[in-house]
Amino acid sequence: MPRRVLSLFALLVVLFGFGVLVSSASLQQTSATAASAKGGVGDITGPYDVPDPKWPQWAHPYPKPGYIWGSQGGVFAESPNRIYLANRGELKLPDRVPNNFPGNWGFFNQQAATVPIANMVNTIVVVDGDGKLIEAWNQWDKLFEWGRGPHQVYISPYDPERHVWVVDDMRHVIFKFTHDGKKLVQTLGILDEFGDNDDLTRLRRPTMIDWLPDGTFFVADGYGNTRVVKFDRSGKPLLKWGTRGTAPGQFNTPHGIAVGGSPARVFVSDRGNRRIQVFDVNGRFLDEWPGIAPHSMMMSADEHVWAVDSISDRIVKFDLTGHVEYSFGQFGTRPGYTWAMHQISADQEGNLYIAEVFGGRTQKYRPKPGANPTQLVRGRTLMPMSGTTSN
Amino acid sequence: MMTRRIGVLLFAVAASLPAAAWAQGRPNFSGTWTLATTAPPNYPGSNGWGVPSPTIVVTQTAAEMTIESGQFGAAPMKVVYKLDGSDTIWEGPSSSQSGNTAIVKWRTKAGWDGNRLVLYTWNTALNQMRDIISLSGGTLTIVRATEQPGPSTNATLSYTKST
Repeated sequence: MPRRVLSLFALLVVLFGFGVLVSSASLQQTSATAASAKGGVGDITGPYDVPDPKWPQWAHPYPKPGYIWGSQGGVFAESPNRIYLANRGELKLPDRVPNNFPGNWGFFNQQAATVPIANMVNTIVVVDGDGKLIEAWNQWDKLFEWGRGPHQVYISPYDPERHVWVVDDMRHVIFKFTHDGKKLVQTLGILDEFGDNDDLTRLRRPTMIDWLPDGTFFVADGYGNTRVVKFDRSGKPLLKWGTRGTAPGQFNTPHGIAVGGSPARVFVSDRGNRRIQVFDVNGRFLDEWPGIAPHSMMMSADEHVWAVDSISDRIVKFDLTGHVEYSFGQFGTRPGYTWAMHQISADQEGNLYIAEVFGGRTQKYRPKPGANPTQLVRGRTLMPMSGTTSN
Repeated sequence: MMTRRIGVLLFAVAASLPAAAWAQGRPNFSGTWTLATTAPPNYPGSNGWGVPSPTIVVTQTAAEMTIESGQFGAAPMKVVYKLDGSDTIWEGPSSSQSGNTAIVKWRTKAGWDGNRLVLYTWNTALNQMRDIISLSGGTLTIVRATEQPGPSTNATLSYTKST
């Protein structure tokens, strides 16, 4: 009998010890995931935890075996539970992939945006906060077949109907969809036809869009042209400015645009000239901020310009006079690092979403507990949707 | 019987109108053309796409134009443009952005802008070209614009007639 008691006691000790080890390992894992990313040369994820590499659930695993989501052109968080992902088509995986393959093309050290030829499938999907699929707008995949997929995706903060705008640079147009994606209500530009800088009917590889509160909007146009085009709220072109060059008011790849301030100003990422230029709403040059070549910019709720720099792969917070207040970020393909951030968006709970064209993924960055609120990217509040009071 | 003959005659006249209109109002670019100059000088095209071909052979009817040239990639190709504005779609080889050759979808479209002919050529390897062609004093001028994921290009190519 004592021998049986001793055996039972020994078993309990072993089980308890195993449990402690498992708990400890689990805690270490959690801690390693939640803490700041290791390595790099600076603050990599800033006020945010290291993102979960399996977000969004929709893409992990990708629904079609042997394929993955491709270059991520854009992301827009309408709310913490409705996030639009603009995917430049799915990519076929090599026949053999390593066991540690995380599910995005950047892992292969090859640009997801340009090297593989993508299938234009699942080009616009909507996911919830966990990354579970809410809607796949496969009815519109065919729109992107002759291009390289959606470049970026937006909802105007001032639109009570919350139309969804999708820029398609390689087809030279901007699509405006109803909020549910059931109808294409407007196409700016002429599909597949590219016009020159003086042509107000056609665009030439437009890149980005932003609005004034009255619905007037500005388009960066873009890769092919070297101008900004201003439209009224109905989509009628009003004016344009910019020519090719390096002087004030000239551009080389005006890629990003953000509108805000009082009086309103238009902040243009003049990527090829490695600067941000500032204009009034009629295109009068006001200022330039050198030393940065942003892929994309956004106006935050606290009226700052957040720019994602293509040179340093850092996310930079500017005040509206061009002074840097904060920055973080690091090039790479590990979780939390980025490779060619192409659009950023933030929801009302402080989560930041970053779409990477070369990395081939969109990461969701959750704020660290107690994060300094001035270091968080704050998305602009959207106008309540017609017939609702929700955001 | 008389009514039937008149009907046939009217049909024949109507059918010949587009060709007649083309013959009267539109330039005919047919011929073999030799590259004379490019602006900017030594315009290289874009990664093998839109590269000025030393010679292009153009065949034009009222319905379509055919261009045989090396401007569509590494190997010379014969490409058809329908002049009624409709698409021509086919599959064929193209240089992809990785530098490899792949079989991809091609599409062309043409439209008149006065006496200039605007030709679009696209393929799903993300190569795009717009050529605006005009004739003046025996010179064929092509105002070319190309698009790829990389830099855009713009050039003016001048060709003189060989035959």
